[in-house]
Amino acid sequence: MSLEPIPIESEGSAFQVELEVFSGPLDLLLQLIESRQLDVLTVPLAEMADAFVEHLADHPVAADELADFVSVASQLILLKSRRMLPAEPLPAGLPEEAEADEEELRRRLLEYRALRDAARELAEWDHSRPTYRREPREEDLPETPEEALPPSLLSDALQRLAAIPEPQPAPPEVVPREVTIAMQIAALRAAMGSAGRVVLQRVLAACHSRTEVTVTVLAMLELVRRRQATVEQDELFGPILLRAVRRGAAS
Amino acid sequence: MDLQAFYEALLFIAERPLATAELAELAEVPRLQAEGALAALSEQLTDDGRGLRLQRMGEEWQLVTAPELGGRLAAYAARQESRLTTAALEALAVVAYRQPCTRSEVDRVRGVDSDYVIRTLLHRRLIAEVGRRDTPGRPVLLGTTFTFLERFGLTSLDDLPPLSSEAASLAALSAVAPQADEPAPAAPEPADVG
Repeated sequence: MSLEPIPIESEGSAFQVELEVFSGPLDLLLQLIESRQLDVLTVPLAEMADAFVEHLADHPVAADELADFVSVASQLILLKSRRMLPAEPLPAGLPEEAEADEEELRRRLLEYRALRDAARELAEWDHSRPTYRREPREEDLPETPEEALPPSLLSDALQRLAAIPEPQPAPPEVVPREVTIAMQIAALRAAMGSAGRVVLQRVLAACHSRTEVTVTVLAMLELVRRRQATVEQDELFGPILLRAVRRGAAS
Repeated sequence: MDLQAFYEALLFIAERPLATAELAELAEVPRLQAEGALAALSEQLTDDGRGLRLQRMGEEWQLVTAPELGGRLAAYAARQESRLTTAALEALAVVAYRQPCTRSEVDRVRGVDSDYVIRTLLHRRLIAEVGRRDTPGRPVLLGTTFTFLERFGLTSLDDLPPLSSEAASLAALSAVAPQADEPAPAAPEPADVG
């Protein structure tokens, strides 16, 4: 393979080529080659790596197509990097790997070019010389009502709709009553009142839910822990007497 | 009964493409004879420069107006259809030339994901699913339709512009390859890309 560099972009002179909008990575590569009037059959594809990557950098492609472009770019860069390495003598008869890769890419380019050119030709034929067939006869079309539908059909339907009872408004969302220990401490204090004592069971009897009972008992324990109250129970399951600790006596 | 005339009349009143087998049965002739008469009718319509042509898609036939009249008939019969994008035309070309082919073959030739354009072509009935390939995954096979022939004014797939550049290029490539400094082993390149 010839390693002669091919002048692709002369230094200094800004060589700008306006490419058509490309429809894929192979199209871009092909257009880059053709815009330089190089022969797809012979141009070392490695030479196109820089131009390809530069063009991609200047003309970003849609994210969903990027992977396809990166795939071709990486092949080109691989080809280029192989060319930069000193050539190692290869055992005779072994096909050079780099060459096989390059020929594979070249083959894809040629196949793509053939179909792209055919597509261009087809584009010129598109609608320029259409053929027309017989339209289906009326009896071949799906049945349609003979006469125009009376507008009353719609108003009748609307009335039937109105006759359907309105859906019941949804019940208000059930908000669980939030009971806190602080609330129940206040409630217990209120229950002890000026007398300074209360039978816990009496407070619990006024509770609305199991949760409230639980929290009230916890509130009682909290009062005991803070030494703001004492509890007495004379017998198992007997009344629990909650007694407020007088401030003076407590501290 | 003149078989050709019978088929001309039959396809004139037919509101859908008719299969060769169907046409043979209707004329009570062997299939081969039906096919001969249809081919002769097609040839006659073309040679006499008539206003109608016989259009063939696989095993089905339909009578259509001549492509060269299409432009002038458009004023009467025009169906407004938007143009196809370059990407859609490329995908359509791959299906047309490689049919039946799979979606991944279209992707491979174009080097880019073609799912969206293929869906567009299916939606416009320019291509259709024609079967499944008997390989793992049983991928759907795509082919072109009568709508495709009509839109591009082809009487059959034989009218597609030849892929002139490809065969020549691949042959040239095979000729170029052995010019590498090492004498290349005589490994003939597989020329059948089709």
